Amino acid sequence: MRTTLRRVAVGLSLAALTATAAACGSATANDDAAGGGTEAPAASALDGKGEVSIDFWHAMSGKNGEALQQLTDQFNAKNKGRVKVNLQFKNTYDDTLSAYKAALNSGQAPDVVQVYDIGTRFMIDSKSTVPVQSFVDVDKTDTSDIQPNIAGYYSVDGKLYSMPFNTSMPLLYINKTAFTKAGLDPANPPKTLDEITEAARKLTVKDAGGRVTQYGFGAALYGWFLEQWTAAGNQEYCDQGNGRDGRGTTVKLATDDHVKLLTWWKKMVDEGLAPKLDSNTTTADNAFTAGTVAMTLESTGSVGGFLTSTQGKFEIATGNYPKINATDAGGPIIGGASLWVVGKGKDDAHKRAAWEFVKFLSDKDVQATWHTSTGYFPISKGALETEVDKQWVAQRPQFQTAITQLQNTPLSKATQGCLLGAMPQARKAAEQAMQAAVLSGTDPRTALQQQEQAMAGPIKEYNQSVAG
Amino acid sequence: MTAPTLTATGVPAGDVHRPPGGIRRTARPARAREAALGLLFTLPGLAGLGVFVIFPLFQAVYLSTRGNDILGNPTRSVGLRHFHELLTPAFGTVLWQTLVFTVLVVVPGVLLPLSLAAPMTQRLPGMRIFRTAFALPFAYSVSAASVVWLIMLNPGVSPVNWVLGLVGLPAPNWTTEPGWAMATVVGVTVWMVSGFNLLVLAAGLAGVDEEVLEAARIDGATGPRQFVSIVLPLISPSIFFAVVTTTLTALQALGQVQIMTDGGPNGHTRTLVYSIFDNAFHNNNSNFGLASAQGLVLLVVGVLIAVVQFGVLERRVHYR
Repeated sequence: MRTTLRRVAVGLSLAALTATAAACGSATANDDAAGGGTEAPAASALDGKGEVSIDFWHAMSGKNGEALQQLTDQFNAKNKGRVKVNLQFKNTYDDTLSAYKAALNSGQAPDVVQVYDIGTRFMIDSKSTVPVQSFVDVDKTDTSDIQPNIAGYYSVDGKLYSMPFNTSMPLLYINKTAFTKAGLDPANPPKTLDEITEAARKLTVKDAGGRVTQYGFGAALYGWFLEQWTAAGNQEYCDQGNGRDGRGTTVKLATDDHVKLLTWWKKMVDEGLAPKLDSNTTTADNAFTAGTVAMTLESTGSVGGFLTSTQGKFEIATGNYPKINATDAGGPIIGGASLWVVGKGKDDAHKRAAWEFVKFLSDKDVQATWHTSTGYFPISKGALETEVDKQWVAQRPQFQTAITQLQNTPLSKATQGCLLGAMPQARKAAEQAMQAAVLSGTDPRTALQQQEQAMAGPIKEYNQSVAG
Repeated sequence: MTAPTLTATGVPAGDVHRPPGGIRRTARPARAREAALGLLFTLPGLAGLGVFVIFPLFQAVYLSTRGNDILGNPTRSVGLRHFHELLTPAFGTVLWQTLVFTVLVVVPGVLLPLSLAAPMTQRLPGMRIFRTAFALPFAYSVSAASVVWLIMLNPGVSPVNWVLGLVGLPAPNWTTEPGWAMATVVGVTVWMVSGFNLLVLAAGLAGVDEEVLEAARIDGATGPRQFVSIVLPLISPSIFFAVVTTTLTALQALGQVQIMTDGGPNGHTRTLVYSIFDNAFHNNNSNFGLASAQGLVLLVVGVLIAVVQFGVLERRVHYR
């Protein structure tokens, strides 16, 4: 009897584990687009509605989250009796988007949602948002203050879909102290793969036992970096004009440049000039701030964190994002996340209130505060001209590199970045190829081809799914 | 079930006002009422079971035959296509890695605490502190433990590597070398399950009757012989419990894989549950159909393991 009970209990718990793992998150279909529409209501939509309360789902943690809270408090104080914004932290970008998808199905969607750059195509296809452009047209807002490269990413067919909010570019970070010690000029950091190798040979330090105590170079095998390298070479990452002339159907992973890059990376590891790191950027960041690697790749958003955690240990400087070939004439894509005004199931007052908040966050003074308290690149040109911002940059010359880099990046389809519904999966596929080539010793071209083929299915499925 | 209903005073309920010869007339409604009452009491349990077990199970079967739109809603029927998609070497690798992971977690995850628990039953001063210290990993959440170990093994700041360096050993690439990555994830999982298993096994050992051991000693069974022939059979229920729960934990392992290696390097630590999570939620995926199909595979795997454990292993368990 006891045995039978136990058997049943274990059997049931196994079944429960399986069933919940498989079926949770699946929600019943809900196709009625109550309200919805992509029409932007005018400012009068808020008249006579009392205080309209809106929800904002975001993925800003720690210091960034605190800064966002302050800005939101400022907005709420200014709009008392009219609009009240409730901040809801939804963990990572991935989790935020998952939660948003589930919420659309259950009718619990927020009014404003922060989505990472690679979720842009998906958000457009979800048909659940009001394009920012509609509000801009209704209000006749002047958008010339928005950095064109930043607006470029979120624009399709000349229409701005979401409001960029927290944006960043990748940079080359160097350990200035180690550079000087190795007889290198920190004011003139490496610009190409070859130059990195050359510098890394001088920067790599071994102890008496032959073990490496300082690697010349070390960066996460992060898919974002591969996309950046492609743009720096003025190449498109997916077909159909980087997914901007039509729906992209392939990710161009197995290109000569990518093969060259991964071959180089593997060689750096084999030569003992770079440690084996995976795609986790935190691990690579720690290796840099601990002084284990003398050069790394990271986003501009890390300037503040790096300065704090290396204080008293060594000095850091920055250089432009390196290029695969010396002749590469592009520049990095400015990525990050943007804010979407949700339209599905929302009345005019909520849509309008959401826009008021989004508009507020794009204001130049607000962006200056945001920039100086988080290190994200301000989306507003004017923000860089404010006193507080100028002072901040003057104290952190490392950030000046980013400003110059952005100004020198031509706006083309390549530097706008690839728009693809399955872009998050594509980034993961790129990481798989990078790991296969650099960590498990697979031939770079084979690894890239395998992943490019593996992506064909998901992309096709996505495109079919949105086609009808 | 067969015992008569008792009132608060302990007198069988039927005896209080039972009219002579009227047993048949009152018994039937009483039994019906009893059955209804029984049903009423089990209702909350049944409802829970229905909502959280039976319904999701059927839902999983249904979803596994459907495609998904970009929001994850089930769309047209795709028949058995999702199951067909599982017939690839890639999924075979996932199953193999799940098996390797489970075996590597369960065997040391039970043996290690057992070897720690045995000396710990000695009544020595300070043993209580050790017991608490060893059981502590049990109190960690999976994510906290994973993050802590990730820092412990971070190539830049790793104290573990530092210690290895002191004794002149080269530090391995903990999470980036395919073989080591699996070993690392396994190691952290063993570390996590050991605390709980230590508690279970130590409790089992504490329950071993001194008199039985004394009798064994008189019969000449001492030391290792005593442990293998007397103690082990006596604590076999605890060991069995530890094996079953550890197997379940290993099969369900997701957090440590996702946080420490994210299935990498290059998929070398992808396990079945990670794969389900990956298809359903990761990287803006919403392939609930494929994930459900894999979930059903997990169900079959789980049932198979349960059959083996209860059919073979439990026969050797000695219940007192």
